[in-house]
Amino acid sequence: MLFLLYSVLFLALFYVHFSLAHRAWITIRGKRSSELDMSYVRLEDYFGQSFRRKLKTWLSTLPAASNSTANLRVYHHGQERIFVAPTVQYPSGRVEKEILVAEGTFACGNNCDFRREVMVHGDCSIGEGTSLQAIAADGALSLGEAVTIRRWVDAAGKLTIGADTAISSRATSRTAIEFLPGAYAQSLFAPEIATEGRNDDSPELSTKIGPVLQIPHRPGDSPQAQHGFDPQKLFSMGGGTYAYEGDLDVTTPLHLRAPLVVRGHFSCAKESLLEADIKAHRNITIGPASVVKGNLVCDGNMLLKPDVYFQSILQAGGTMRLSFGVRGLREKLPVAAHATGALTLESNIVINGKVSSAHRVIAISTPLAWLQTNSARA
Amino acid sequence: MAITALIIFSWTLIGIAMIVLSAYAVRHYYLAYSRMRIAHPRETNELVGFVMPRITVFVPMHNEERVARDVLQALVDCDYDWELLEVIPVNDRSTDGTRAIVDDFARRYPFIKPYHRSEGVGGKPAALVEATVNATGEIYLMFDADYVPGRAVLKMLTAPFLDPEIGAVMGRVVPHNIGDSLLSGLLSLERSAGYQSVQQARFNLGFTAQFGGTVGGVRAAALRAVGGWNPESLTEDTDLTFALLLSGWRTAYVNRAECYEEVPQDWNVRRRQLSRWVTGHTECLHNYWPDLVRARFLTRGEKWDAIFLLAMYLTAPIIVLGWLASLVLFFVPEAHAVPVLPFAMLIIGYQLFSNQATFLEIGVATLLDGTRLRALLMPLSLLNFFANTGAICNALRKFYWNRFWGSGGDGWYKTHRTRPGSDGKGFGLNQAPTGAARQSLNGLYHANSEGMGD
Repeated sequence: MLFLLYSVLFLALFYVHFSLAHRAWITIRGKRSSELDMSYVRLEDYFGQSFRRKLKTWLSTLPAASNSTANLRVYHHGQERIFVAPTVQYPSGRVEKEILVAEGTFACGNNCDFRREVMVHGDCSIGEGTSLQAIAADGALSLGEAVTIRRWVDAAGKLTIGADTAISSRATSRTAIEFLPGAYAQSLFAPEIATEGRNDDSPELSTKIGPVLQIPHRPGDSPQAQHGFDPQKLFSMGGGTYAYEGDLDVTTPLHLRAPLVVRGHFSCAKESLLEADIKAHRNITIGPASVVKGNLVCDGNMLLKPDVYFQSILQAGGTMRLSFGVRGLREKLPVAAHATGALTLESNIVINGKVSSAHRVIAISTPLAWLQTNSARA
Repeated sequence: MAITALIIFSWTLIGIAMIVLSAYAVRHYYLAYSRMRIAHPRETNELVGFVMPRITVFVPMHNEERVARDVLQALVDCDYDWELLEVIPVNDRSTDGTRAIVDDFARRYPFIKPYHRSEGVGGKPAALVEATVNATGEIYLMFDADYVPGRAVLKMLTAPFLDPEIGAVMGRVVPHNIGDSLLSGLLSLERSAGYQSVQQARFNLGFTAQFGGTVGGVRAAALRAVGGWNPESLTEDTDLTFALLLSGWRTAYVNRAECYEEVPQDWNVRRRQLSRWVTGHTECLHNYWPDLVRARFLTRGEKWDAIFLLAMYLTAPIIVLGWLASLVLFFVPEAHAVPVLPFAMLIIGYQLFSNQATFLEIGVATLLDGTRLRALLMPLSLLNFFANTGAICNALRKFYWNRFWGSGGDGWYKTHRTRPGSDGKGFGLNQAPTGAARQSLNGLYHANSEGMGD
């Protein structure tokens, strides 16, 4: 009897060990996994478009509240209220807790606080020091100095991000973005992104062309190490791609003709031509007035010196800095630059595409005195 | 004398088992920990859509009439520009309606170019060797016929190739038939841990990910550089991973490139699948370990990681030998020189330490996936563990027996499909949009796509 009791108790304890698993199985049995969104596609302006779509649905299906007037229609969506007006103008210091829709233009003074999303069908101007949850504009959007956006910004027209403005998420425009010093965002995407001090004059290039180093080297080239390049360290990985053992700091203009993997730091002198992709296991530094046609990828930090022209994608595992005068554009697709650390944009930068960072994208002002001393034009 | 020798031998076996299993346990604890702590420096999610080379998508098929429409329709609905896309369904000696389905899609979509095979060596690698000859893409992507890629998967898998060091890429497979049997539910845990925890952690740490032969791709130039597909390997994907690694190429892992798959529901099917993997993997270990040890391009950590990866199936017979040695020591009275209780506590404590590593990985994966209900199935993984151990030991026995006697091993075995036909409607899965697929070269802006009107 005792043995029987002991057996029953043991079996019960044994089952308890598996009882949660058994219950979970009963719940899951017969079901299919459905956690993947098969229709997902990545869109840079997803937040803005998703908000517009939802708003359109709400305004077309919800009845206007009884206290609506000709100049202000009110809609109730659950616990939220939506205010719709033809034109909106707020004085300084105003606080609003509703979703706001301006069918025409929208303007507000300084230090306002809009706790919910704002939709503007015309042009929009936001005063200094104002805080917003998020804003979408179908016209031009101008953010004053030190504005804070807690989520995203999207504009169909030109987007001006004032000095010291902080955007926690994406800033997108279908026209152009002007990104002024001190401002930061997590990513920017537009047909054209420009920082302050834009100057489209071509950089002055050297009149004296020194020895150009070609990688891979040509038959007949010296096998001796020179200009920071040692041919003995260059190996073929097959498929037209090469690997270089150790740091590669080329002190003369470089003409790169094949994809290269550098197992160390990579840097090249000014006026180099990089026609293929480069990967560096550490840092990458590109000399002034160089042309980069291939992709640049590094596990460390990346620096593009003044007046570099890139037509590709930049990816850095550390920080990235694009110096004064850098240009990024290509014919069929936008360019992109992404850094895991901070991505810093100096003055006079124009990029057709995207800049993003897992940390933040920051615009800084380049002092004129520094430019006179250090740029490729000197 | 004999008893003493037996005792010493048993202790030696236990010692070896504990050392090897401890090494694996420490490795897996570290992978689970680093998955939670280390950021993703090589993530390319922000660059999806900016890397748009010409690609060729291969879909090997052998009697796949039940599932062929789903995968082809899913590829048609992908948001990759059709002018840069080539889809090659590889019809490998099918005797059912596969050919008719494939030809129907080819008539409607010019970028679908079937390759029909009626003779030659059977199996996926041999079929790919032939089909690759006329491919025009810079990047070759592969999907098995029972997979259903989402709309963005092609772009996600292509993005890592902006890095010239990347020779191959692997996405993530997600079982969709989790509730069809207890086995499929347990395998979903195994897959979660394998991809969400282990693959991602290894990639974050700078090790090469493992190319799995489906929901993945390879750079055409890199494939040619290493001599193409190995038609004699049962796991041409593992073989390719290490052939690329030894030439300096890396494999990237894209966790976000998720694709549904169908896992075995039946223990017999699972056993045969596992047998193929064990044989192929162990064959790669024998083929590549000397070169891995000598490889100039690899750090010491990378070499150890690669060896651990290839040798993982050898842990099963080591565990079994350890058990047998424990039994011997337990039943041989002369072995009780050590006090029994501390010995038992040591063994139990050690088991807890080493086994919890795997459960930690599963727990981390289900936490990150948000599938906590499924995590409760973990105690039942014990059944899977014993079944796997038996299947792996049997497969290794056959492998070494064939190797010793120089006889042929297992041939290629196609995993049985259980999903019923759905006429391209993606049975049981989320619906892809119907109507004309978007073909925009730059679909980075919201642009008048179905279901998302202004």
